[in-house]
Amino acid sequence: MALIELNDVSKLYGFGDATNVALDEVSLTIEQGECVAVMGPSGSGKSTLMNMIGLLDRPTHGNYHLAGKNVSRLSANRRAKARRDKIGFIFQSFNLLPRLTALENVALPLLYKGVSQNKRTMKARDMLERVGLGDRAYYYPRQLSGGQKQSVAIARALVNEPHIIIADEPTGNLDSNSSRLVMELLSEIHKTGNTIVFVTHNPELTRFATRVVYMQDGAIKHDEQTRLGEVGRYARAVMYAVPETTEDDDLAGVSMMMDVLDKRANATEKPKRAPHTKTKKPAAKRKKAKK
Amino acid sequence: MSLRHENLRLAYRNLRAARARSFLTMLGIVIGVMAVVLVVCIGQGVKQQISGSLGRYGKGLFVAQPQQVQANGDIFSGLAGANSNLLSYQDVTTIQKTAGVAAAAPLSTASGTMTGDYTVRTPFIIATTPAFSQIIKQHMISGGFFESNDAGKAIVLGMDVAGKLFNDTSAVGQTLTWRGQQFIVSGVYDDFKVPPLSIEANFNNAVFVPYDTASKLMGGSLGAYQILGKVQSGQTVSRTINAVSTALTAAHGGSQDVAVAPAASADSASNRTIHLLTLLISGAAVIALIVGGVGIMDVMLVSVTERMYEIGLRKAIGATNHQIMRQFVVEAFLLSAWGAVIGLLLSCGAVGLLRVYTSMQPVLVWQILVISPLLAIAIGVFFGSMPALKAARKDPIEALRHD
Repeated sequence: MALIELNDVSKLYGFGDATNVALDEVSLTIEQGECVAVMGPSGSGKSTLMNMIGLLDRPTHGNYHLAGKNVSRLSANRRAKARRDKIGFIFQSFNLLPRLTALENVALPLLYKGVSQNKRTMKARDMLERVGLGDRAYYYPRQLSGGQKQSVAIARALVNEPHIIIADEPTGNLDSNSSRLVMELLSEIHKTGNTIVFVTHNPELTRFATRVVYMQDGAIKHDEQTRLGEVGRYARAVMYAVPETTEDDDLAGVSMMMDVLDKRANATEKPKRAPHTKTKKPAAKRKKAKK
Repeated sequence: MSLRHENLRLAYRNLRAARARSFLTMLGIVIGVMAVVLVVCIGQGVKQQISGSLGRYGKGLFVAQPQQVQANGDIFSGLAGANSNLLSYQDVTTIQKTAGVAAAAPLSTASGTMTGDYTVRTPFIIATTPAFSQIIKQHMISGGFFESNDAGKAIVLGMDVAGKLFNDTSAVGQTLTWRGQQFIVSGVYDDFKVPPLSIEANFNNAVFVPYDTASKLMGGSLGAYQILGKVQSGQTVSRTINAVSTALTAAHGGSQDVAVAPAASADSASNRTIHLLTLLISGAAVIALIVGGVGIMDVMLVSVTERMYEIGLRKAIGATNHQIMRQFVVEAFLLSAWGAVIGLLLSCGAVGLLRVYTSMQPVLVWQILVISPLLAIAIGVFFGSMPALKAARKDPIEALRHD
């Protein structure tokens, strides 16, 4: 039985002419123990997919089975409880509460579960030790570096022993050293049997994944298995393609044109298309910034 | 559950972190509570001062006074109507004999110049019986009230008149002359802080003379404008008053021309005015409290908006709507509870200061000390829970995007 099973899941925003298709009949099956990297330009529906898998959002159409249970029509509160018990979140901007110490931040999910103070503290401390921040338990987030903050966030995501860890660009706000630290941490967690789904813009980071999913316009465009330590084939193509297209990216028209050419080439295989073209520009820019 | 404790701790921290904002909100509640408490306490004080509640001077007191039926049918009783038909000494005896009555004393006015060391031309003279001292419990500066075995030659002075007659408030043993007869001062009353009967009758300025002697000197039987009575302890006040009323009606041949009422409502006309006034001002005070509540709503709304991100995160990691809501309600509760306590303390202090530095005599009414903070907390929590509801219903994705 697959851990995550999405069947023709769509997410629409708005009504009538203003309807915006964020996810377009996506079907995706993720097994226990996979480490999936999700790539794609901004506005391609990566985050919506993450929110869907993470039970933050409900599909407009389609079904989502989490560990064999249909969770696509759960009420907000049931979803909150499911998130609490089954899912660990890691965000790009860490999302630690500034007024709580690292320890308290890590213990937060346990608090909502109703675990006693003593157990909370013990468990949170264990998790901090595990991410190598045992000596920073009583530091406040402002006293920690970016990498340390993300490590605290990882500890928080782990503290409930979730089925899945969802990381939306976990290294997006980090320099390369901290990025490696964080990804190594995630990779270790993966090795202990956890299922991880993460979004990244950096093709390099697909080395840590066992599977890479590419998204565009709310649909999965490519899905490949990779070996650990190896950059995804498609990702490699993107990686080397990027410098060429973004050298003179300040002239927005260039990338636009490239886009249009690209679309024309693919026109036959993809008739359905979300009105997303305007998001292409910043996507190209961001790729340049990464380089 | 530990969550509640955690919520309190967290709320405390959040409020501390936004100290200025919390303080300003609390100010609304503080002022509201102070307004309610002070208004009611001052109102009560003024009421006691004006209406001259006998309640201060003992329990179970009642007053019988002649009543006139006015043209419009309203029953009006009091000093103004007292001159036409006065009560007789028989009525005192009738009251005294009624079951459940511990004591009864007539209050009559008498006139005539008095001469002690100095002369007072028109003293305020009250003729009464020794039973008066059993009914009105009031401390004496020196000496004691006259007794029946004093041969009618002993009198008691109010504090002010003692000063006028002898230039000395401890005038016990001094002699004075009234209507050609010598009297010995047997006691001097301490300051009557509140006039026991009505504002017109200032007992500090009164000379208390024995009823029998006064009757003799005034030539004939002296009518009483009021008869004070005291209910035996253990007897129901209202039932005894009814019995007294019935007995008097019977004694007067069936005509209900005497009004008998508990001491507190002795002067019902002015009492009603004061009551209305208190209601009016209390209304204003409650509005002040509600404004304080709206202030809390305001701050909570700002707080919700400011912490949208935090709410989103908490929901993302598994907080239910209920749990989020509770966190904000606890905050509103803490704010209003603090405000209420501070307001209470300040108003108690203000009551003390008013008593010392002004002629007002506010009284701490314990009921309002209990009710107003509860009301304040209720209002605070009520208004605070609306933003809390808003916070709880936030979509976590939207809230997280809010940065």
